Amino acid sequence: MSYLDLTIKEIHEALVARLVTPIELVKEALERAKANTDNAFEIILEQEALAQAAMLLEPEVDNMLWGIPYVAKDNFSTKDIPTTGGSNILTGYVPLFDATVITRLKEKHAILIGKTTLDELAMGGTGKSGHKGKTFNPYDKTKQRMIGGSSSGSAAAVCAGIVPFALGSDTGDSVRKPASYAGLVGMKPTWGRISRYGLFPFAPSLDHVGFLTRSAYDAALVLNALAKSDKYDATCSDTPAIDYTNSINQPIAGKRIAIIEEIVKSKHRPEVIKAFEAIVEQLKNDGAIVTIVKFRRDLLEAIFPIYITISCAEATSNAANLDGIKFGPATWGTTYEDAMRNARTAGFSELIKRRFVIGSYALLRENQEVLFLRAQKGRRLIVEELNKIYQDHDLILAPAAPSIAPKFEDKTDQLSDEYLIADNHLVLGNFGGFPGVTLPLGKLNDMPFGIHVMGRPFEEGLVLAASQAIENHTGLRNMIAPKEVNL
Amino acid sequence: MNFEAVIGLEIHVEMNTKSKMFSPAPVTFGTAPNSATLPIDLAHPGTMPTLNKQAVINAIRVCSALHMDIDRELWFDRKNYFYSDLPKGYQITQNERPIGKNGHIYVTGEFGRRRINITRLHLEEDTAMQHHFYDYTLLDYNRAGIPLIEIVSEPEIRTGKEAADYVDKIRSIVTFTDISTGKMEEGSLRCDVNISLRPIGATKFGTKVEVKNINSINNVAKAVDFEIARQNEVLLSGKQVVQETRRYDDALKETVSMRLKTDSVDYKYFTEPNLIPVKLTEKFITDAIATCPELAEVKYERYMQQLGLSEYDASLLIASKETCQYFDALVTLGVPAKIASNWLSGEISSYLNKNQVSIEIFPIKPSRMAELLSLIDKGTISNKQARDLFVHMLESTDSPAQLASKLGMMQISDEGALLQVVTTVLNENTQSIADYKAGKDRALGFLVGQVMKRTMGKANPGLASQLVKQELDKR
Repeated sequence: MSYLDLTIKEIHEALVARLVTPIELVKEALERAKANTDNAFEIILEQEALAQAAMLLEPEVDNMLWGIPYVAKDNFSTKDIPTTGGSNILTGYVPLFDATVITRLKEKHAILIGKTTLDELAMGGTGKSGHKGKTFNPYDKTKQRMIGGSSSGSAAAVCAGIVPFALGSDTGDSVRKPASYAGLVGMKPTWGRISRYGLFPFAPSLDHVGFLTRSAYDAALVLNALAKSDKYDATCSDTPAIDYTNSINQPIAGKRIAIIEEIVKSKHRPEVIKAFEAIVEQLKNDGAIVTIVKFRRDLLEAIFPIYITISCAEATSNAANLDGIKFGPATWGTTYEDAMRNARTAGFSELIKRRFVIGSYALLRENQEVLFLRAQKGRRLIVEELNKIYQDHDLILAPAAPSIAPKFEDKTDQLSDEYLIADNHLVLGNFGGFPGVTLPLGKLNDMPFGIHVMGRPFEEGLVLAASQAIENHTGLRNMIAPKEVNL
Repeated sequence: MNFEAVIGLEIHVEMNTKSKMFSPAPVTFGTAPNSATLPIDLAHPGTMPTLNKQAVINAIRVCSALHMDIDRELWFDRKNYFYSDLPKGYQITQNERPIGKNGHIYVTGEFGRRRINITRLHLEEDTAMQHHFYDYTLLDYNRAGIPLIEIVSEPEIRTGKEAADYVDKIRSIVTFTDISTGKMEEGSLRCDVNISLRPIGATKFGTKVEVKNINSINNVAKAVDFEIARQNEVLLSGKQVVQETRRYDDALKETVSMRLKTDSVDYKYFTEPNLIPVKLTEKFITDAIATCPELAEVKYERYMQQLGLSEYDASLLIASKETCQYFDALVTLGVPAKIASNWLSGEISSYLNKNQVSIEIFPIKPSRMAELLSLIDKGTISNKQARDLFVHMLESTDSPAQLASKLGMMQISDEGALLQVVTTVLNENTQSIADYKAGKDRALGFLVGQVMKRTMGKANPGLASQLVKQELDKR
């Protein structure tokens, strides 16, 4: 057994006991990264990681992240390390600064061993739209199933046992959906809890920094390292962070849990619902008070169109800086219009261009009222409904996805009940900026599926406590996909 | 047919805050290109805006000076368009909720003193500076992100003179409050003029022409008057005014067409998601206003009411903030206001005009100037000597007293010493004594002149005159 196959907490104990050293961990992580065939990596940082590990000699007893290897989605700005956001528009781009979360982890002496694949500019949920092609689900050795996106490579790297945690970003469900398909704990705290400075924006009003781990406790300790105010992000909260590894132990007896009827009744695989109901029963036995609540169905069905409208509108503006003039591959022309048009035509994939067109269309003066502003109104109505639920309930529980990871070739009917509600309700957390965690709930045909816990703003502690309770019941902790044969 | 001009002004004021509007990079002028930039100024991915508090304080002060309603919440919007000088592909501005609304100022022109209403004032950021060459363009991002306030007037201005006075009033406010250098020639104050003509009495506006690139306040008046005349001629010849953007050509003294203005651009505005609306407390607003440096109009009143200056003297002083600062310093150092004002409008002003320099680099600092003036007050030197000494002080760093003594300028106010000279002069000019006795007053002046000549101008003229008269009466 390798120490890399343990959780952060366990690796930390081994490091402190000097059973293993950072350099040994990093070497093995690099080997595994290089051997991986799931297309998880944009870049592997061999020299940088080894150099950093070589400096770490004295274990820090109080610092759980000391010497722990990790990966970051390739939409986090990393100084002197090429960062593309999964798009050709940024081929060869080398950032001038570290994202705040990268800095925080550096200060903790966690070791970045690679940058991971993603859907182009994080705008997708399939893990097949990035410029490096499809990222595969390590659980499916036939490479037919997706791992989801857009934090595809990060999820793949953690569930393949390359590293015990990874940074991702979550605009719709881009951390929490792959977590469900990869049997991982995927957390997105409250909007403003973690600085977004240095995260390549997709849609700032919905964007969150998130992370993937293999246990609820590990999620708490990564959150401990990242939850801080930041003078470089004006939307980052000054609310003092707490020690989440403490609050994760609070009992959930007496906590009021809401289950939205329309979500669990929307089309899921029966095995998913069965496992979900079993957990609910166990939480009741723990003393949690569980209530089925109703939600306006028209609003739930509007999640996807609202999300597409707002996110594409913001995205088209955010990506306007990518014009080939200041950085990235330049494709000059005789006029500035030509130069920009050439760079953007060559740099973006068709899918992204389509999203920009949708976003621009929604923002046009003649459309704004009926599209963009209407979507914002819908978003407000949804958040108001959720806030009503939170008046009487501490948490909202739901299956994280309708089923296990789909196959790349599967067709989804985007107007089906399954798609509109079961596959999109995680976006509720982005609309309201609510903290949410996906964690493993069960397995079907050796593929994992997850459950989602969502709480009130800045109540990450309670969300993690519920996650811990669920993990205790499922026993699904530290799940790693079966290793490749002959590895 | 007679037409009247309908003129509205949009003024952009570049602030001289320490850092930029949404970036911690320094605000600099004239430094090496692209040296005052951070990743955010070039819109590197992942950078985020943070709000400059001083820029907000400045905006509140200008709003207050313009009698505007100040919004209690700050909202920012994105104005989306592609242009080579716009790094992010959008500008952060205030579209929906400008910080200031419904203000006014008074201008003076052909129709006397008139109130001009001001629609809005908002905060935004500047773009990069472009340097165009034959077949390429260079970009300087030092300017990208510098805080701007934009002030938009109602279309209530009628003439070039009124427009120029309007700009001058705004310039005065932003310079006296230390918000900007307010220099049109350097672009720290920029003015776009919208002009249309309509038959007198009509309520409907005519076709509007925008005039840009006006580089001085004088040229505001010239550009407006030229444009009014041009449009007048077009209309009288039965043609239509074309909706377009023109620029003022300083050499030609005319407005020249730049580009046609078709349907206005759709900027696809939406609220900036990376800046949460900021609440402005009453205390923040009142503090900003209470600590605001004194405005020209306040100084003007104070100079007349408290310091007893004439309207004319006061108005000369408030034409420039730097002159006021110099004057205020002299008064603080104990120089009587009238004397300080006279010297500023006299010797100092003629030196500055002759040498084409501003008072900021005037070699005699207020402290040395106050010393010079106190020598006159004490009777140590005469006014005439002071004027000579002034010329020498321009070239020297010595104190006025040292310099006066070096130049042998100390005035003779010793009665005994002067009396000797007077006696000698009288003894040598018996004919003048006779003339004086015969009632020719001119003789007295001649004799005093002789005393001054013999003392090489150092005699205290008052005392000399008094002694000559006293000795004449004795004879």
